Amino acid sequence: MSPRVPRDELRVLGLTALAVLAFPYLFAEAPVVSDVLNGYAGLATPILIWGIFVMGYDLLHGYTGLLSFGHAAFWGAGGMTVGALIHHAEFSFPLVAVALAVIVGILLAALIGYLSLRRGGIYFAILTLAFGQMIYYTMLGPAGQLTNGEDGLILDASSLFGVIPLDAGLPVLTPLGIIPSWLYAVTGVLTLVSVAVAYRILQSPYGLVFKAIRENEQRASFVGLNVWRYKLAAFVASGAFAGLAGGLHALQAGNASASPFYWIVSGDVVIMSILGGVGTLFGGFIGAGIYLYMDNVASSIGLIGDRWHLLLGVLFVVIVWLFPDGVWGGLRRLRSMVGSDDTTHTQTTDDGGND
Amino acid sequence: MSMLSVDGIDAYYDESHILRELSMEVEEGEICALLGRNGAGKTTTLRCIAGATPPQVRRGSIRFRGEDITGQPAEDVAPQGISLVPEERRVFPNLTVEENLHLPEVARNVSNRFGRSVATTESGMSLDDVYDDFPRLDERRNQTAGTLSGGEQQMLAIGRALRQPTQMLLLDEPYEGLAPQIIETVERAIERIRDSGRTILLVEQNAVAATEIADSAYVIDAGEVVFDGTADELAADEETRQRYLGV
Repeated sequence: MSPRVPRDELRVLGLTALAVLAFPYLFAEAPVVSDVLNGYAGLATPILIWGIFVMGYDLLHGYTGLLSFGHAAFWGAGGMTVGALIHHAEFSFPLVAVALAVIVGILLAALIGYLSLRRGGIYFAILTLAFGQMIYYTMLGPAGQLTNGEDGLILDASSLFGVIPLDAGLPVLTPLGIIPSWLYAVTGVLTLVSVAVAYRILQSPYGLVFKAIRENEQRASFVGLNVWRYKLAAFVASGAFAGLAGGLHALQAGNASASPFYWIVSGDVVIMSILGGVGTLFGGFIGAGIYLYMDNVASSIGLIGDRWHLLLGVLFVVIVWLFPDGVWGGLRRLRSMVGSDDTTHTQTTDDGGND
Repeated sequence: MSMLSVDGIDAYYDESHILRELSMEVEEGEICALLGRNGAGKTTTLRCIAGATPPQVRRGSIRFRGEDITGQPAEDVAPQGISLVPEERRVFPNLTVEENLHLPEVARNVSNRFGRSVATTESGMSLDDVYDDFPRLDERRNQTAGTLSGGEQQMLAIGRALRQPTQMLLLDEPYEGLAPQIIETVERAIERIRDSGRTILLVEQNAVAATEIADSAYVIDAGEVVFDGTADELAADEETRQRYLGV
């Protein structure tokens, strides 16, 4: 098991790095593709940010089999951490603020996970939803002084390390149409780090433990696993990714408010997760991409306009029908179909020879 | 001292009283058959021993090698050397054969890393030994367990249990739904496990097949022990067999 892991990991990280580098160009600049897509560079950053969020959520939902409806809390808390630091404390190190957002995500997830994982199945989902909404209303009302409610805090975190403007282009890469801004570069690097961490977790013994719990909790306990503890570990891990993404999102949006705590956000993550593919890790980025594309690009096409939610619903149904394991799962199946076509072919020839 | 002694346990599923002052002894290195009709309480007995909830044990005690394990959760009982092979779909169907067999070792390692006080850190059978014992599994290492035949899944479930530091194997209806030919293969495997020094508690509906390989036998009915003796004595006791086992 162990010797081939590093090579797999390098391959995965290499492909991720390539995808992150090529994505803004393909999406916003490339001659034919981007004309068809009608994409714009500004959307590339949020797609990666939401992708991190959904990928982390997939560790919990896809790999451990726990459906949470409360992840808006960690996403919101990450954003509010960054917002409060920059706005109230005039903190001028956005990356440090984002790192603190991860820690807040972890702590909050440990608390809510500890309380919600007392129950399983639908009761767990409802508990996470309830805690999430409790936090939302706290942010809206009692903590309104801190958060400024739905209007939120306007963030002036324009510079990285106090020198480089976050929204400026990179000297060489931007004119070539690659890497629209420093913010994208930072997000891209953190995406790569996130993928590396998530992939590591899944390749480690914990990945196997998570999958075993998803398959059958009781059987996992017969093998000697303290199921509750690993469910909490998965919950906390997904909270960390949510905190990171939420922090980045506040930087990117230039705003941190109570709205990201709202339960709709928790639902959006579930939808993105299913669109991209549950239990596929990378599907999260596809799901986030489709959702944000519909929200931002398709909705500005005259014919679709406000009806984009309807179109998304139709798309959702079609994808779930055609590919129960999402777009990524569908692509994977397509690939293995092409691959196994060859094997079947060889096998038939072999059988023929033997007979 | 017996390997396992169950002393007058009363077990409940919510308010239904399933086991009534049930007592049994299993000696080290034997195959003990636990027989009875559907609903007699056989699976409940195994679940009580393995620490599964429900049921709740409200009275009596279960001792394993002299240690009181009554009411301990499954994840604490397993490392002490008791492995349960549950009935029906017994494997992790979407994990590969090798992942299924890898899991007990992973469970032990991650538990140790967390500094959890497990009663034993000794390992079970090695992966190679399991593959030697069950060559079919070797051939199918990378296949997902759900795609195996019923007999192969049973082999895998037993193999996985042996990867735990097993001193005592609890088998819940291992012959269920298997063709006679496959049953024989499973029987040989169970005998090999006994011959390697492990103790086996075998729950079966198929009383004839179970008494063939068992050393001792218990028959239970409505949660009470109605027969207790050697397998040969049971084979000779026509009345008990007809009345409680229908054979």
